[in-house]
Amino acid sequence: MLSNFLKSTILSKILVAVTGLLLVLFIVGHTLGNLLVYLGPNAINTYALGLKKLGALLWVVRGGLIFAVLIHIIATIRLTLYNKTAKPINYTVTGYITSTFSSRTMAIAGLTILFFVIYHLLHFTLGVTNPEFMKLETNLHGENVHDVFTMMITGFRNPLVSGFYILAVSFLGLHLNHGVKSLFHTLGIAGPIFTPMIAKISTVFAIVICGALISIPISVMLRIVGGAI
Amino acid sequence: MILDAKMPSGPVQDKWDKHRFDMKLINPANKRKFKVLVVGTGLGGAAAAASMAELGYQVEAFTYNDSPRRAHSIAAQGGINAAKNYQNDGDSVWRLFYDTVKGGDFRSREGNVYRLAMVSRNIIDQCVAQGVPFAREYGGLLANRSFGGAQVSRTFYARGQTGQQLLLGAYSALSKEVGGGRVKMHTRKEMMDIVNIDGVCRGIVTRDMVTGKIESHWGDAVVLATGGYGNVFFLSTNAQACNVTATYRAYKKGAAFANPCFTQIHPTCIPVSGDHQSKLTLMSESLRNDGRIWVPKKVGDNRSPELIPENERDYYLERKYPSFGNLSPRDISSRAAKEVCDEGRGVGATGYGVYLDFSTAIARVGQEMIAERYGNLFEMYERITGDNPYKTPMRIFPASHYTMGGLWVDYNLMTTVPGLHAIGEANFSDHGANRLGASALMQGLADGYFILPYTIGNYLAQAPLDKIDTNHAEFKKAEDEASAKINKIMSLKGKRTSTSFHRELGLLMWDKVGMGRNESGIKEALSKIPQIREEFWSNLTVPGSGAELNVSLERALRTADFLEFAELLAWDALERDESCGAHYREEHIHPDGEAKRDDTNFAHVAAWEYQGENIKPVRHQEQLEFENVHLAVRSYK
Amino acid sequence: MKLKLNIWRQKNAKTDGKMTSYQLNHVEEDMSFLEMLDILNEDLILKGDDPVAFDHDCREGICGACSMTINGTPHGPEKETTTCQLHMRKFKDGQTINIEPFRAKAFPVIKDLVVDRNAFDRIMQKGGYISVRTGQAQDANNIPISKKNADLAMDAAACIGCGACVAACPNGAAMLFVSAKVNQFALLPQGQIERKERVIGMVNQMEAEGFGACTNHFECEAACPKSISVKFIAKLNTEYLKATLTKNSF
Repeated sequence: MLSNFLKSTILSKILVAVTGLLLVLFIVGHTLGNLLVYLGPNAINTYALGLKKLGALLWVVRGGLIFAVLIHIIATIRLTLYNKTAKPINYTVTGYITSTFSSRTMAIAGLTILFFVIYHLLHFTLGVTNPEFMKLETNLHGENVHDVFTMMITGFRNPLVSGFYILAVSFLGLHLNHGVKSLFHTLGIAGPIFTPMIAKISTVFAIVICGALISIPISVMLRIVGGAI
Repeated sequence: MILDAKMPSGPVQDKWDKHRFDMKLINPANKRKFKVLVVGTGLGGAAAAASMAELGYQVEAFTYNDSPRRAHSIAAQGGINAAKNYQNDGDSVWRLFYDTVKGGDFRSREGNVYRLAMVSRNIIDQCVAQGVPFAREYGGLLANRSFGGAQVSRTFYARGQTGQQLLLGAYSALSKEVGGGRVKMHTRKEMMDIVNIDGVCRGIVTRDMVTGKIESHWGDAVVLATGGYGNVFFLSTNAQACNVTATYRAYKKGAAFANPCFTQIHPTCIPVSGDHQSKLTLMSESLRNDGRIWVPKKVGDNRSPELIPENERDYYLERKYPSFGNLSPRDISSRAAKEVCDEGRGVGATGYGVYLDFSTAIARVGQEMIAERYGNLFEMYERITGDNPYKTPMRIFPASHYTMGGLWVDYNLMTTVPGLHAIGEANFSDHGANRLGASALMQGLADGYFILPYTIGNYLAQAPLDKIDTNHAEFKKAEDEASAKINKIMSLKGKRTSTSFHRELGLLMWDKVGMGRNESGIKEALSKIPQIREEFWSNLTVPGSGAELNVSLERALRTADFLEFAELLAWDALERDESCGAHYREEHIHPDGEAKRDDTNFAHVAAWEYQGENIKPVRHQEQLEFENVHLAVRSYK
Repeated sequence: MKLKLNIWRQKNAKTDGKMTSYQLNHVEEDMSFLEMLDILNEDLILKGDDPVAFDHDCREGICGACSMTINGTPHGPEKETTTCQLHMRKFKDGQTINIEPFRAKAFPVIKDLVVDRNAFDRIMQKGGYISVRTGQAQDANNIPISKKNADLAMDAAACIGCGACVAACPNGAAMLFVSAKVNQFALLPQGQIERKERVIGMVNQMEAEGFGACTNHFECEAACPKSISVKFIAKLNTEYLKATLTKNSF
C-alpha cells in the first residue's frame, strides 16, 4: 500500500500533505510549549515533566512523528529528484510569475530543517553533543526533575547554537509559507476564494511561528530571559 | 466524364432511408480486411476516422499538424445548426432544408441538403453524449440562439468556441480509437499525391515533415478531409497551413473540381495593418447588431473619427438598404465596404477599412451592457489593434473566409475517381453558392459521422479491389514525381521567397476574382497568373534541403499548387456568367445591387476536368433540379 | 522599433542547440510576434540561411500550435494571450528578447522552437474520451445538466492543449492539462461511467511520459492563455486518490 503510494506522484504528494499537516500540528504544540520559557523556570519544567509523565503515550506520539518525518522526507526527495529529470534544461532567462522564493526552495529549506532537527535532538533531547545538559536538575514542588529551563538558557547562550537555530527556523518559515497553503491544495481543498485566502493565512502563520521561535534565542542572548543564570 | 450524382429516387424525405437500405453491407468480420486512409483530421476527418474504426475497418489518418486537435475547424466561433426545434419556434428538418437551399442561392442538390438537415439532429445527440459542454439554460436543457439572420433559434453553441469543442469531441473519439490500436495516426505528414491503380484510388504519397522522407501508403479507399482553399487569396481567416494541395492533386489525377469560384467573404474582420500581415482575424458578426457602419463622406478625409462631425459621415448600409441596414447579409455588406473603399473613402493606414461604431449603442444602453455583450470581442480587438473600441470606432473589412467549391462528389461523397472520397469543406456538396452561418460545422460532422461511414461500406462491398502493396509501380512513380518536384524547387536558387509569390498571387486574386468580379478583371487575372507561376519556377529560393524539417519548402510546395489552382478558380468565375450567392459578377446585378441569377443557363454545378499542364480544363455540368424549394429571388431591401 | 533577438537554434533532435543573436531594425508595433518572426525569416531566406522553425497555425489564439517561451514566460508577457495574439506594441524599442522552445523532458525539441507534444495525444488516448458509438446517442435533451456544471465543464474544456502549463512549470508537470480534461468529464453525467478508469489511465500515462509532479507553484495557471484554474488540479488529486482506493470495490 505505502509503496504503491510512493510510486505515484499524486499519491506521494498526498502523503507529503498529510504528513506535513501532522508536522505543522507538532510545530504549533512545540512552539507553544517553548514559549513557556517566558513564564519562568517552573512553567517550562512543569510542562517538560508533564510530557515525560505521558510515558508510553509519549513514545507513541514520538514514533508517529518520526514515521511522518520519514515519509515526508522520502516522498519529497523522490519527487524532487523526479521533477529535476522532468525539466532537464531550464530557460536562459526565467520569467516566473506566481511561484515564490519559498515555493522554489522547498527542498533546500526542508534539508536544512532536517539537519537542524538532527542536531537539535542530539543537543537537547538525547544529550549527545552536550551530555552535561542531561544531568541538570532542579527542585520542582519538592521533586527533583530535569532542569529544561537552565538547559535552554545555557544552550542558547552559545552564539553558534543560536545562529544555527535562527537560520533553521527562518527556513522553517519559508517552508511553512508555501507548505501550509500547498497541503490544502494537494488535499483538494481549493477555490477562487479559499486558495488566495489560505495563501495569506500561510504567510501570517509562518511569520508568527518563525517570530515566536526566533524570539527565544534572541531573548536569551539579550538576557531578557534567564538573565540570572 | 459523366457526372452521375447517384441520387436515390423517390421523395426527398425518403431518399436517405431508401439509400441506406439499398446499400450493400459488409459482414462485421470482413470489415477489418479493408483499409481506409483519411487525409486531414479536422471535424470531418476525425469524425470519419473514429466512426469507421469503430465499425471495424482498419483506418490510417494523416495530418500535417503536430496533433489532430489543431485543425482549423477549431476556429469556428458561432455555433452549429440543428433542426431540433427545442425552442418550439416552428423549426423542422424541412425548414432547415429550405433555408439552406435558399441561402445557397439554388446552387446545391436538394437531396444532399435534405439529408444534411435530417442528420443535423443526430449530430447534437452524438456530441452531447461525447461530453461537449454546449451552453445550457437554467433548467439544464440545451440553449439555442438565432444566428446569421435565421428566423428560428436553431444554433447550438459553446461560448464563442463551438468549433473548438466539437473538434475536441471528434478528437476524443479519434483518440480512443488510436489508443485502442484501431486507427494508426500519422502526424506531421503532408499528402503529396494520390495514387490510382487501374483507374481506382488505392493510396497516397506523403512527405514526413520532420525527416523529409517520401512515403507511400496503400488503402482500399481514400478520404480527403483537407478543408478549403481560402488561402488562395493569401490573406484570409484560414489558418496558415490551410492549402489546396490535396484536393488539387486529386483534381490532377482525375477528380472533377466543382464550383471553385464559390468563395465566401466574411464582412467583419480586422483590416490589414501593413505589408507584414499574415492573416486576418474574424470578429463575430453579432457585432453588427449594435455597431453602425460608416465612412467619411469626403474622399481622403483622414481626420481621426471623433473629429468627423455627424453630417460628414456616410452610414452607407443604412442609406442603401434602409430595412436591413447594418444587418444586411454577408455578401451585400462586404461588397458595399469594398465599394466605398475603392472610392477612396476607406479608413485606417491602408485605406481598406470601414468604421464599426458603437457610440450610439453605448449612449443608448450604456457601456456596461455593451461590455456584457461583446466584452471578449472588444478585448481581442484591442489586443490586435491597440485601439479601445469603447472610445474609438472599430475598423473592419471583409476577408475570405470559407470556400463552398471543392471536389465534386456524388450522393455517396465519392469523387469522380472511384475509391476517392471527399468530405467537409473539401467537397462542394451542400452549401451551393453561399454558406449560411453555423452550417459548416454541421456539414463537416454530418459527412464524417453519419454519411461517409455508411456509404464507404457500399463502395468497399462492391469495388474490384485486388491485393496490392506500396511496391506497386504506380506508388514508385508518384514518389518519384514528388521527389522530383522537391528537387526542382531546391535547385532553383533564385531571389524571391515563396511567401512573396503567394502574396502577389493573393493580391491579384483578391483584386480581380475576389468579392466583385467582372469579365475584364478575370481575364486580366488569367493572363497574369501564368506569369507569376513562371517567375516562381525560375526565381524562387528555398534554403536548406528536402531531407529535414524545412518550413520554407512546405510553403513553396503549397504555393506551387495555389499558383495553378488560381487559374481554375478564375476560369470558373469567368464562365459562370451570372451572379449567385457569393459569386458576384458586376455585369449581372439587379438595379438595387442584388445578385441577378440566371437560372435558365446556370442552374447547374460546374465541374472541371483536368486536361494537362497549361491546357484549359473542360467544364462539365450537373443540372440541378428543384422539386421542393421553388426558385425565387433573394431580396434584402 | 529596433530589437535584438536571442533565439534558440537547433538543427534537429540529435544535435545540440545554442542561442543565436539577430538584429531586427524595422519592426512595427502593429505586427504580431509571429509576424515579426516572419519578417526575420524572410530576411534569412533571402540570405540563404535557414529560417527559424516554429509551430503556428490558426494565428487567432485557439489551435494551440504556437509554442515558444519569450523572456522566460511561455507565450510571452501578456496575460491570457497566445504568442500569435501577442503584438509588438507590448515591447520597447531597443529591447532584447530571448526566444526559446517550450522546455520539458516530455517535449523534446524537433528543430529550433518546434517541440514534440505528442505526449499530450498519448495521454488523451488513455481515457480522454467518453465512449459512445456513432449514432447510438439518446436525444440530447434527455441528459439535463445544471447550468453551473455545464459552465464549469466548459471552463475546463477551454484548454487548447498548447503545453504552456508544462513549459511554465519549474517541474515540467502536465497536471493542469490532465486535470482540465478529467474535470470536464467528471462534471458531466455522461462522464461518470468511465470516471475512475479515465483518471487512472490518464494520470499513469502522464507519469509514463516523464512529466513532473505538481508542487503548487501555480505558474501553469499564470501562463495558460485560457486561464484554466489550478482548482482543477486540486480536484484531480482527490479524483485520483478516490479512484485508486475504490477501483476494485463495487
